[in-house]
Amino acid sequence: MKKFVRTYLPFMANEFKRQLAYKGAFYLFIFISLFGSFISYYLWMAIYGSSKSGVIGGLNQQEMVVYIFMVYVTTSVVMVSVSNWVSDDVVKGTVAMNLIKPIDYRISLISMAMGRAVYQFLAPSIFIWIGVEVYKAVALGQPMVSVTTVIIYLCSCMMSFFIYTLFDFCFGMIAFFTTYIFGLRMAKEALLSFLTGQLIPISLFPAAVQRVFEYLPFSSMVYTPVMIYLEKYTGQELAFVLLRQAVWVVILYALGSLIWHKVTRRLVVLGG
Amino acid sequence: MIKIENVSKEFVSPKKYPGLKGAIRGLFSTEKVVKKAVDDISFSIEKGEIVGYIGSNGAGKSTTIKMMTGILTPTKGTCMVNGLDPSKNRRKNAKNIGVVFGQRTQLWWDLPLSESFTVLKEIYDVSDENYEQRMEFLNEVLELQDFFDKPVRTLSLGQRMRADLGAALLHNPKVLFLDEPTIGLDLVVKDNMRKAIKEINEKYQTTVILTTHDIEDIEELCSRIIIIDEGKKIYDGSLQQLKETYGAKLKQTMAESQPEESKEIKLADIVKEIYKHGIV
Repeated sequence: MKKFVRTYLPFMANEFKRQLAYKGAFYLFIFISLFGSFISYYLWMAIYGSSKSGVIGGLNQQEMVVYIFMVYVTTSVVMVSVSNWVSDDVVKGTVAMNLIKPIDYRISLISMAMGRAVYQFLAPSIFIWIGVEVYKAVALGQPMVSVTTVIIYLCSCMMSFFIYTLFDFCFGMIAFFTTYIFGLRMAKEALLSFLTGQLIPISLFPAAVQRVFEYLPFSSMVYTPVMIYLEKYTGQELAFVLLRQAVWVVILYALGSLIWHKVTRRLVVLGG
Repeated sequence: MIKIENVSKEFVSPKKYPGLKGAIRGLFSTEKVVKKAVDDISFSIEKGEIVGYIGSNGAGKSTTIKMMTGILTPTKGTCMVNGLDPSKNRRKNAKNIGVVFGQRTQLWWDLPLSESFTVLKEIYDVSDENYEQRMEFLNEVLELQDFFDKPVRTLSLGQRMRADLGAALLHNPKVLFLDEPTIGLDLVVKDNMRKAIKEINEKYQTTVILTTHDIEDIEELCSRIIIIDEGKKIYDGSLQQLKETYGAKLKQTMAESQPEESKEIKLADIVKEIYKHGIV
């Protein structure tokens, strides 16, 4: 175990340091995605303003504000695109350089993703999170979130992180067959913003659609931790959604191993 | 140390057609082209040998190296490195080998060189004591200390190549694979690289397999050479023997046509002649 940490920790640390090497791009990214959050904030304000009922999809106006910004916080920690690196490695042929080392390619990628997640958590997610709590306390006069909820939320986020990265690794494997997956990645991101609850809460979908979502891993990526944060799950239901996340981690891990085994059999390294 | 038996590697790729019309046709075609990159090659290499693996561009040198390092799986045949099958035990095999692909780098592009070495130290489980010893040696032969704290992306090609060789040697591998390690380097750096390779081989009995297009690399380093062409092995033996056997033949043919040039025949001419006429 100690050996394992010593081997893969540097990947995490280096990705973290790498982020500091290109600051401009990263701050631009923060700005653009925050911009998106504010658009949906004003959009929802308008919707609540013109709606007769104060509750939409099980969330009242204040909860929706928390939802929107906690989605931002959660997404920046959870959704670190591993397939991005995989497709780069395939197109440039650098995958060979990873395979000559005595390391597990997938674990090294996930370690890198972790480094990125920690960085994005520190800059700027944690500040937005604090902002949400201050907003709740000052503007709405609501009590702050409880420590237990924060702990459960963070555990859930951790599992979400693994669900997303393990899924994205499987997705990235397509690059070994098609070489170029930029278009597919765009499609994936658009689809995921719906399926994960990033764009609108899943509780807004028709009941039949929601039932289908129950059997997909995507709602476990973003929707579950945010709803936990909003304390929408209690008791048995809370245990169930956490267990479901854990099951997805196991399934996607196994699936990834299977695909990787198949891929290495027919690997082609581009560019000599 | 290394045993390759009847190894073949085929690549299957979709068929491409020329021109714009062809590009569109390619979208709907399901035709496949099979290319045999390596065709039924066998050889074995002993501990401590420096073997030059040469052939023209696209002859299948890199593909063979990639099979020996466990990156690619052979379509047919068996490949054993240090008693392990690299395609089945990739990670275990990787502990025993060092690899330099001259056109790529295994270093972290955006970070100082020192960071890459710290990562590699952990990956290969090198103890502090061994690390220091090795770094001292590497600094001596490759002079890494001059740019050890600079980001890799700012290094010159010569520096980067030295750094890459150093990175491949950090864990004192039993086998060293060098795929065109002197490509694009100036004479001085080339000379340093060669010296380093030689020293490592003598000091640690490291087995070295080297592909190159530089005839001087071969003359200075290799005790044995293997030539492959279009995926097939066409020569395997000592440099001396190659010169004697084919040099004599060449001398004869050249003596008939250009008697004044036949006195001094260089290895380069021999290899060229072999490619041209397929004397073997």
